[in-house]
Amino acid sequence: MKNSAKAALLGLTFALTGVLGMTAFADDKVYRTLDEIKEDGTINIGVFSDKSPFGYVDENGDYAGYDVYFGNQLAKDLGVDLNYVSTEAANRVEYLTTGKVDVILANFTVTPERAEQVDFALPYMNVALGVVSPEDAPITSLDQIGSDDQVIVISGTTAETYLVKNNPEIKLQKYDTYAEAKTAFENGSGVAWANDNTEVIAFAAENPGYVVGIPSLGSNDTIAPAVTKGNDTLLSAINDEIVSLGKDNFFHKDYEETLLDTYGKDYEDTLVVEGGQIAEASTEAETEAATEAE
Amino acid sequence: MKEYLPLYRDALFLTMRIGWEGILLAFVIGLVCVLILHFRIFVLKQITSFYIELFRNTPLLVQLFFIYFGLPKLGLKISPALCGMLGLGLLGGAYMAETFRSGLENIPQIQFESAESLGMSRMQTFRYVILPQAVSSSVPGLVANVIFLLKETSVFSTVSLMDLMFTAKDLIGMYGRTVESLTLLVVFYLIMLLPVSILGSFVERRMRHAEFGN
Repeated sequence: MKNSAKAALLGLTFALTGVLGMTAFADDKVYRTLDEIKEDGTINIGVFSDKSPFGYVDENGDYAGYDVYFGNQLAKDLGVDLNYVSTEAANRVEYLTTGKVDVILANFTVTPERAEQVDFALPYMNVALGVVSPEDAPITSLDQIGSDDQVIVISGTTAETYLVKNNPEIKLQKYDTYAEAKTAFENGSGVAWANDNTEVIAFAAENPGYVVGIPSLGSNDTIAPAVTKGNDTLLSAINDEIVSLGKDNFFHKDYEETLLDTYGKDYEDTLVVEGGQIAEASTEAETEAATEAE
Repeated sequence: MKEYLPLYRDALFLTMRIGWEGILLAFVIGLVCVLILHFRIFVLKQITSFYIELFRNTPLLVQLFFIYFGLPKLGLKISPALCGMLGLGLLGGAYMAETFRSGLENIPQIQFESAESLGMSRMQTFRYVILPQAVSSSVPGLVANVIFLLKETSVFSTVSLMDLMFTAKDLIGMYGRTVESLTLLVVFYLIMLLPVSILGSFVERRMRHAEFGN
């Protein structure tokens, strides 16, 4: 064997042994327990940076929104500093399973498939899917979408999963981030945008010329914080936090601080889940309102 | 994991189709640019230099953003596939132009002088003496550029094209099978690029007729 080949082989063997050796020292658990977080002094929270009004960056460069407001409170009550990590819809589960963040507070809808990979805390928000379309070409039913039309969705959202599973004939135009999807929708690349109904209602309210043709699609779901599977200490801390904040009507205050301007007072009881308790009355009212709107 | 294979196969075909269309466009643009620069055509020379500097020094992602999200604001809407092809072609064109130019400059001045002393015109010189040597000399660089451009297709997710990278990300986001999705991703990229690499080495060896002593 030539000398250079021998040297390369030797180097490769050393490198492989080094890597394998290092895995022997690796921690078998990926997440940080509550005590480890408190000892470190900083909690890593994954949020959206472009999903206004739930998680976005305001003009001062600070994170703001319904999710972020709760995140701030959580960090304060745990007594740690905050480190907000910007996530995309598709990598929220990954960030938890690889321990890149401790909590995901990125408007994360609870689904059975996701519950297999992460642990959800108590819910803090109600949500269903919705479809927004231009005012001059409104889509009020999925049947109106032609075989050449494309519906914009964001990769990794419940809207995408729902349409892929229930309406596979609809052509989807997928984007990584909310910012790109919004811009593409404004540019008219798709006939409609399917996402959380809270988000599309906010979009239609802020951008004239668009109407939410389908205000409620799919099941009524909830949004909850999520932690890495098995991170029981942090999970119970968050659950205790939500229950105790519920006594002060915290999430109603959160709504009034961050969402009132977008949605107005009427939507408050439909959207907010206080103390982790899904009020039966409010879900009934929501379904009634949705049926009336049709 | 078996259900993923057709998705990856479709993504492979899409990536390869748009990739090769872009590379073809890049070749054409590169050749035109280098001709303009070699023959020093008056105004076009400055425009070409500006184009090469602009597109070599900005990332493909930035260029795609401009073409796909920026142009519609000025009224010009372009489909995702066309945008991908244009982006690759424009970026690749700048790189190919530089590769061709370096191949050209590799040719010793004595070739030009000998041809001139034999009474050949500029066009004749270029067509029969210079161009074959320039092409032969630039082939390694061109093959490297082709592989580079095919790998650059991984940013196509920005313009909603379901290329290999986006397919893997999407599958991970929806079903969470990270290891399987990423393994298939690497395998499919190798399926796409290894043949190109091997073919490239073959072409390089066959085109080596301009080296000293050949």
